[in-house]
Amino acid sequence: MFDKAKAKVEARREAHRVPPALDAEQAASEAHERDKGLTKHHFEPHEHPCVRIEHLMKTFDGETQVLTDVNLTVWPGEVVCVLGPSGSGKSTMLRCINLLETPTAGHILIEDKEITGHLVTKEVNKLRQNLGMVFQSFNLFPNLTAKGNVMIGQTKVLKKSKAEAEAEALKQLDAVGLLDRADFKPAQLSGGQQQRVAIARAVAMHPDILLFDEPTSALDPELVRGVLDVMRDLAENGGMTMIVVTHEMGFAREVADRVVFMEGGVVVEQGTPEMVFDNPQNPRTAQFLGSIG
Amino acid sequence: MHNMSRRSFIKGGSLLAGMGAIALVGCGGGQQPAADAGSADAAAADASTIMLVTEGKLTCISNMYFPPFEFMDEKTGEAKGFDIDLSRELAKHMGLEANWTKESNMGFDTLVPTISSVDYAGGKATGKADIAIAGMTITDKRKQEVDMSDPYLDSNQSLVLRKDSEETLETLNAEGKKIAVQDGTTGEEWARENLTVADAAKGIVKLDDIINAMNGLNSKTYDAVITDLPVAKYQIETEKNYADLKVAEAIPTGEQYGIAVSKKNPALTAAINKALKEMVEDGTMKKLQVTWFGSEV
Amino acid sequence: MHAGSSNRLKRLVAAFAALLVALVLVPSQAQALTTEKATARPNEDGGSGVIGGIPTRLTWEGVVEDGESITSVTLTLPNGASFDNSTTKVTVLDNLTRIPNDATATPSGNTIAVKLSDPAKAGYKLRLEIEDMTFPSEGGDVVVNGSYESAGKTQELAPSKPIATIANTWLQQMVSFLDAQPWVQAWNSNQFLGMFLKPQLILTSLFSLFPGWLVCLGIVVVAYPFAILLGLVFALMKLSKFRVVRAIAVVYINVLRGTPLFLQIYIMFFGLPMMNINIDNNVLGVIVMAINSSAYLAEIFRAGIESIPTGQYEAAASLGMGRLMTMVNIILPQTVRRVIPTVTSDFIMAFKDTSLLSSVGVMELMMFSKNLTSVTGNMTPYVTAAIFYLIVTLPLIKVVTIIEKRIARSERGGGPRPKAKVADAKQDDEQTPAEPEGAEATLASALSAPFRAGTSVFGGVADVR
Repeated sequence: MFDKAKAKVEARREAHRVPPALDAEQAASEAHERDKGLTKHHFEPHEHPCVRIEHLMKTFDGETQVLTDVNLTVWPGEVVCVLGPSGSGKSTMLRCINLLETPTAGHILIEDKEITGHLVTKEVNKLRQNLGMVFQSFNLFPNLTAKGNVMIGQTKVLKKSKAEAEAEALKQLDAVGLLDRADFKPAQLSGGQQQRVAIARAVAMHPDILLFDEPTSALDPELVRGVLDVMRDLAENGGMTMIVVTHEMGFAREVADRVVFMEGGVVVEQGTPEMVFDNPQNPRTAQFLGSIG
Repeated sequence: MHNMSRRSFIKGGSLLAGMGAIALVGCGGGQQPAADAGSADAAAADASTIMLVTEGKLTCISNMYFPPFEFMDEKTGEAKGFDIDLSRELAKHMGLEANWTKESNMGFDTLVPTISSVDYAGGKATGKADIAIAGMTITDKRKQEVDMSDPYLDSNQSLVLRKDSEETLETLNAEGKKIAVQDGTTGEEWARENLTVADAAKGIVKLDDIINAMNGLNSKTYDAVITDLPVAKYQIETEKNYADLKVAEAIPTGEQYGIAVSKKNPALTAAINKALKEMVEDGTMKKLQVTWFGSEV
Repeated sequence: MHAGSSNRLKRLVAAFAALLVALVLVPSQAQALTTEKATARPNEDGGSGVIGGIPTRLTWEGVVEDGESITSVTLTLPNGASFDNSTTKVTVLDNLTRIPNDATATPSGNTIAVKLSDPAKAGYKLRLEIEDMTFPSEGGDVVVNGSYESAGKTQELAPSKPIATIANTWLQQMVSFLDAQPWVQAWNSNQFLGMFLKPQLILTSLFSLFPGWLVCLGIVVVAYPFAILLGLVFALMKLSKFRVVRAIAVVYINVLRGTPLFLQIYIMFFGLPMMNINIDNNVLGVIVMAINSSAYLAEIFRAGIESIPTGQYEAAASLGMGRLMTMVNIILPQTVRRVIPTVTSDFIMAFKDTSLLSSVGVMELMMFSKNLTSVTGNMTPYVTAAIFYLIVTLPLIKVVTIIEKRIARSERGGGPRPKAKVADAKQDDEQTPAEPEGAEATLASALSAPFRAGTSVFGGVADVR
């Protein structure tokens, strides 16, 4: 029985066979060549990308193919906004990066270390500490206060002392403008406030990379601005690497170093905001921006 | 006044020659024996109207975990036993048919209340059953609630132990001993009255039926069982699971089994007593005893 | 003179003999009728005591010695005892065989005279069961004395071993008071009322059932924490990613949920001693109840855990928390709140289910009421037992209702608002089902606020820095 299942997996793997991950040096220089005109990011000499996605493929239930062949590199400190119609696979790609979804095939490398394949639980947890995530639906812990939400990762995962964690939590809550809401439960906060707490929670872990999964989609229009302000502040003053899946064109244009347009499970077009918004090369991009704009 | 209740019990008893007469004396008149007196009077005055729950049938109830007096057939679930056969013969002698159904099996503690709560308003019986026949010892307490027929069998109590047990009634009357009895029986009364130390230490365990008590003794849950002697003997002789049990001591109590009938149905009690007498005379009773106990009791 | 001295000598001898008797405490005089025992039936409801002043049964047994034939026996009790209104059953036994005998008993105050129709011969046992006699109300150790008649001569009976009796209580006096009330008599003459709601029995059974009620409560209160722990363990096992662990939990839960508690009780109570494991009845009761409830609780917990949105797991995972850490710090605290109503309902079930333990002799509420019913031939103790069960279950049922209401309310979005200022929000987002205008703003509802991740309950609150 096990053999049969194994054979099945093997067969599927065969069908999804992709080239092996590239050598780090080679990949870095190739990516540099490819990306240098497409981003506002200032490249350091011999800089290596912090996220490298090669031939990423994801199918759900062995049938629905969400990602066909995604290739993307993200550089340290770069702010990348991922746009695309719903169902284009942008959220799935993001969730693959911190392994909330297991890629079906392809490679993801964080700091040149491959995370796809066989990671043990401990390594996955370690990896995730380095990748902050902000969800569309906030996912705050409803049994904890705003402060408790920001503290719990620090005390339980980073093993910081309570006092230390509390100081950090208050600092981060202050940074998102919610110091006076520190003792409120999520249910007592508005959606925008909840999302800001969620950002503070992610930032308090001091990750290298922050992933945002449509952080403003679940918010009422008038609440969106507060959240975007916090994100902009992070991007401009925090120097944090950010991958933002969003529909906020204005935010992308203002803040992004690079805009990536996805459709049908592949990256259709990427470039600086000016390139993509003002002069889209791909007709699908143009059509999408037209319908949105 | 004395003779009133004497008549209804002693006379019948003495008529059952060979079964041993019962000497029961109603004293002080007035209060308690009023019902007895009532039943005797009514029987004389209005003997013809027997009221039955189901016309033409003598509907019985019992507690079916008291072999050989009453038990359910392993395969068919039918009621069997000495009391069952007795009831059938009894009914035959009365020109009726004994009625045993699936609902005839009840908790022993509910038998007397069930019989006493049958309603006879307007000369019509509405209730579950006409009589309870369940190896039930005639006691004055029970007679305050229901009429008891003349005795149909003598019995004694017994102490049942595991074969390897060295206990006696004296050593059992101590803290920490567990003596199993059937709830609401004379065995329970005897144990509580005589094993007072054990009783005060909650050592008298009252169970729904005697099978549970025997099983518990077998599995060492209890140290001893006190139950009716014929039952203990029969169980140990016929049930191979009880090969490790023994009747360690017979406890002479000289009690007698009777049939419980509602106080409001004196004609039925009278008819039953008459039939019982006939059964002794025509040898039916003897035949039943040989069938179930191997010999006359 | 000679005669006188011989008389004196006789007296001396008699005195010496009496002394001997007193010393050895055995009635070893030339007794023709030896007192074997005198006992009384406990008449304390649910207890084992013999109470003075209220009817009970005295059983006296004596054995006829060699060469004698007894024609009558008279028993005498201390002053205050009464045989009036009693009935006496006289049994003459030769070993286990009844000897026919017509006897008459004549009670008179604290003595009763029993005349046998035929003399009882040597070796016979005489058994007197005197029903509805009373001991002195003040209680104390009661010795049965008396005399007997053998071949025309009357002789003293050796005193019996003392019967310990206790004083009549105010409760019994209350019962006697009720007995005498016309309305009580009228009430009891109604068949149904007398059988199910007899005032005297309600009164006495309230007291005598109380210890049984405590045992019920004790068993379930001790058992439940263990049940919760076990239930949690098996719930987590059922959610485990290891097939074998899951299988063990599934078997445990399904077998226990799929078989009657009655059966489990029987197996434990009769099975364990067979394996030479002897455990106290009450402890065993606790164990059975804990194991049984744990299976139900495991399912409740599993359902509760699974009802927590995946977003919570993902949020915890994204912070780098492991599975166990997430479970302990994030999921379980939220589960607890969700399952409280169901767990309370299960507690009510478990409490009622302790009644099944009566079938194996655990002295709990049903056991006491069954005993009382079989002693009295009256159903009232069961009604009293029902009252005792309701004392516990009704408030709990109320609690469940309150909690459920509160949860339902907070699921809609309750709690105090952080700011009073309300912008005219457009409720266009389907993830925002809040109706803040209608929600009650109480602290209580805030504390039980919905634990639904991804729910913005205050769509209308301005969010401008």
